[in-house]
This record gives sequence, structure tokens and C-alpha cells, in this order.
Amino acid sequence: MFSDKIELKDVDKMDPEYKDLLGRVLTIQADCEIGGPHLYVEKMLPAAPTKLDQLIVARTAAEEVDHFRKVARVAGDIGVDVSFVLSQPNEKRFVDAFRGLITTWEDNAVFGFLIDRVGRYQLEEFYDCSYLPLQRILPDIVTEELGHIEYGYNKTVELLSKGDEQKERVQKAIEYWYVRALDMFGHTGSSRAERYRYWGLKRRANEQARDDYMKEVNPILERMGLRIPDPLKGRRYM
Amino acid sequence: MPQPAHNIEKLDEHLLEVVRALHGAVKQGVSHSNEPKVVNDAIADCKEILDVIMAGKVSDWLN
Repeated sequence: MFSDKIELKDVDKMDPEYKDLLGRVLTIQADCEIGGPHLYVEKMLPAAPTKLDQLIVARTAAEEVDHFRKVARVAGDIGVDVSFVLSQPNEKRFVDAFRGLITTWEDNAVFGFLIDRVGRYQLEEFYDCSYLPLQRILPDIVTEELGHIEYGYNKTVELLSKGDEQKERVQKAIEYWYVRALDMFGHTGSSRAERYRYWGLKRRANEQARDDYMKEVNPILERMGLRIPDPLKGRRYM
Repeated sequence: MPQPAHNIEKLDEHLLEVVRALHGAVKQGVSHSNEPKVVNDAIADCKEILDVIMAGKVSDWLN
């Protein structure tokens, strides 16, 4: 296992596989950061239930654009241009969860609650990672992601308090996003994930991170009075 | 040192300005929540800025 810490000036001395994996993980992270606003800005900014919610949708998008900027800078400094993801159509996003469009407030709330939480897990993979410029941008990004998760959770709880019909709509959103959240962790036993770990760019195997996520989310869903979806139904990456 | 990506400096500066403008508009709306016109204008400003970002025409932003 590689245990050194790398600065920008050291990158050219690194093994080509390291540079390739670092560029790849930064590109995917940048795509995920800007992929969120591309899902919800178009329909949710005008249609959020209150003016304050509209402003919070805009603030959330602003924070994600800033996360993109920070990741793009780290990538750009090593010569990897990720700006193409800014104009990428949603159906071409790297991660399935970001393909499509959010058109209901339930989906918007559950997206924050479940998918931004996966985003936090993805970022936690880089804690103490071997590439120090990536490590340095994490604290502010994670703090803001925690705010998005909390907002999504609070809005989901608010919707659940509005009666059985609304609860079923939330449950439907949970069924949709839960499997996409689990798929975001990737294939069990992925050989690429193993190389990321070898080079100190990630901490956990895909299946371990997914398992940790389920252990965190399932009790929350139960406390909210929601059914935990079948974790295998509709999955694409097992 | 690696050769940086073309335009990364300009893109970084541009997006930082965008983010600041968005936060400014949101702050204006939230702090005047009892003034509907100010709030509506703030939301409209955010929409206008975000529409440009969502269109993703990077070369237009930087030239």
C-alpha cells in the first residue's frame, strides 16, 4: 500500500496509474457536484413551495457550483480539464442518480436526504488521502453537504407530517432514490476501487462504504415511519 | 510541476464571481423576507445567473 503524501509539485514523478486514477476520480467528483443543480434548478427553483425554499434551492445550487469550482481547480492544476461536464447533458452523467430531472418537491427533499448523503460518503473517502491538495478542499465542502442533507431530511419530515397521501408520495420517492443511492457506491469487489485504495486515494471498498451507508440510513427511515426498500430490487451495480 | 489545464485560472475566477453573486442575491432575499418585491427580485436574479451556468457555454463566459 502506498502511504506517502503527494503535493502538486510531486505529481509528475508519480506512477502513470496514480495520475490516471487521480484525474478520473476528480472528473467524476466534479461531474457529481454540478450534476445536482442540473437535476433540480430548472423545475424546483420556480416551483419550491415557499419563497424561502426557492432561495434555499438557489443557495444549495450556489454551494454545489462552488464545490465544482474547487474540484475543477485541483484537477486543472494537474492538467485535467473537467470543464466539459458543465455542458454535459444529464443523460451522460457518470453516475446514474444524476441522469434525469427532479420534478417534484418530494423528490427534491429525498434527493437531499439520501443522495447528498452518498455525496458525503464519497468525500469522506478522500479524508487523509494521499493527494494533499484534494484533502485541503474537503472540510468546507463537507460542511456544506451536511447542510444539504439536513435540509433534505427536514423537508422530508415536514412532508411526512401532511397525511397519508403525502406519506405515500414520499415513500415512492424513497423507493426511487434508495436503490440509486446504493448503486452510487459501485460494484462489489471492484478491481479499480482496489487500485484507488492501493494508491491511498480512497479508504474503503465499495461494498463496505455501501454497508456503512445502509447501517446509517435504514434506522433513520424506520424512525420516520417509512418502509426500507428492497436493497436488491432495481439495482444495476451489485 | 504539471502543466495546468488551459483556462483553469479564468474559469476559477469566473465561477467564484458567480458563486459570490448568487450568495449575495440569496442573502438579500432572506434578509428582506417581509418585502415581497425584494424577495422576488432576488429569486429572479438567482434564476438568471443559474440559467447561464446550467447552459454551460464555458467559452462564452471566458471570452
